[in-house]
Amino acid sequence: MAKHIVCRFDELDVGKITPAKIGRTPIIVSKLPSGQVRAMGGRCPHQGAGLEHGCISGRTESEAPNELAFCDYGETLRCPWHGFEFSLIDGRSVVPGTGHLPMKLRLFDVEVEGDDVVVTI
Amino acid sequence: MRIIDTDVHESFSSLTDLVPYLPEPYKSWIAAGAWRGFSQPFAYTSPGNGNRADVRSADGSASVSDYSVMRAQLLDPYNLTYAVLTGYFYPTGLKLQYGLATALARAYNDYVVEHWISKDKRFIGSIQINARDPEAAAREIDRMAAHPQMRQVMLPVVDDIAYGHPMYKPIFVAAERNRLMVAFHHTTFAQGPYGMGLHYMERHCLIPISLMPQVISLIANGVFDSYPNLRFMILEGGFSWLPHVMWRMDREYRQGRVEVPWIKKLPSQHCRERLRLSTQPTEDISSGDWMKLIDLMGTDDILVFSTDYPHFDFDDPNAAIPKAIPEATREKIIWKNAANFYELDMHDKTIPNQAAE
Repeated sequence: MAKHIVCRFDELDVGKITPAKIGRTPIIVSKLPSGQVRAMGGRCPHQGAGLEHGCISGRTESEAPNELAFCDYGETLRCPWHGFEFSLIDGRSVVPGTGHLPMKLRLFDVEVEGDDVVVTI
Repeated sequence: MRIIDTDVHESFSSLTDLVPYLPEPYKSWIAAGAWRGFSQPFAYTSPGNGNRADVRSADGSASVSDYSVMRAQLLDPYNLTYAVLTGYFYPTGLKLQYGLATALARAYNDYVVEHWISKDKRFIGSIQINARDPEAAAREIDRMAAHPQMRQVMLPVVDDIAYGHPMYKPIFVAAERNRLMVAFHHTTFAQGPYGMGLHYMERHCLIPISLMPQVISLIANGVFDSYPNLRFMILEGGFSWLPHVMWRMDREYRQGRVEVPWIKKLPSQHCRERLRLSTQPTEDISSGDWMKLIDLMGTDDILVFSTDYPHFDFDDPNAAIPKAIPEATREKIIWKNAANFYELDMHDKTIPNQAAE
């Protein structure tokens, strides 16, 4: 296990994707509304799109057609290609029934040490 | 492994890019903003608004009209042997003003030759036409077929044309005369049997249902039989439906041949011999299911790979076709089937000139 400084904490914001690299491996970092930091693999587990070009937004919910609620801003990542949604809380696909696909983000252990965001791999 | 991407969408940055290529009075009309171009009757829901969100120029702006971006994101990193340019500006969408539509198709072809095809020998071009004026379309096919990289005629799937109708005969005659192939691609006007649905997701699910009738129309109305040198490419229309269409048409033909005796082969045989379907958007099925479908089609000659770059539902050449598919079949999907379709020299990247003779 090794620690890697990947960015400064003040580079992060809710809803913002901060790209970084550990060696040659791309990762992305973001801050959740709770203040927690998430660091995850920079490639979509579906077909490999560069997630730094994706977007972090909220999640839509509804119990009736054409009535959308928008919630939990900053907790959902969408792939820049196909728009697949991933929860930044647990890295899992927001869409149910994707168990036959490798649809989970790789979340890294991450800490804030002083001004630095540090990932342990 | 060599790769042919059979569905790559070049674009202009603005309709006014066509102004230099238009004759009067259309030149003045478009320059003055008399028509603002096609607009899709829905909102895109993907992060890149219908395109991959990472298709951006060096200044960070979204761009799908820049050859250098396409080269840096698609042609070079995936080492494509060929990329078939298929456009997404289809003047057949104009339901009136046929003269304008024909002039726009002509201008677009000239624009694409200058700004795209002439820049890279890996490009294979599609001739755009206004299909609503088949005689004018045939003249445009004859004109553009002289370009050595133009290898097919593009027939856009709109909401009111089934191309087997006899009125479109001049288009197929011209394609065959010029040794071109014929491709079909959906548009922002394509519909299912009850319209587009009420949601983008619904509309996108209905696209294959707009392509299936084209296959049925072409075979039922004798296009396959009348033009034996033509081959037909269904782009971005799905492929898992083909076994059903083949079985259904065979059954209907067996019991109803008396009505359509100009059909000389089982429809499924026509499909296996001269119909090709592009793979994107793949449907995340297992390699086993891929092989079951190919088995049901009766041949592994039918499927051809495509990315749909730069659109949002892009299929990555390294990820979309499962590695577990037997190597010989995978090579057919990624290279051989399309190479045979376009009669590409298997050992020479230079496209032979097969223009009008």
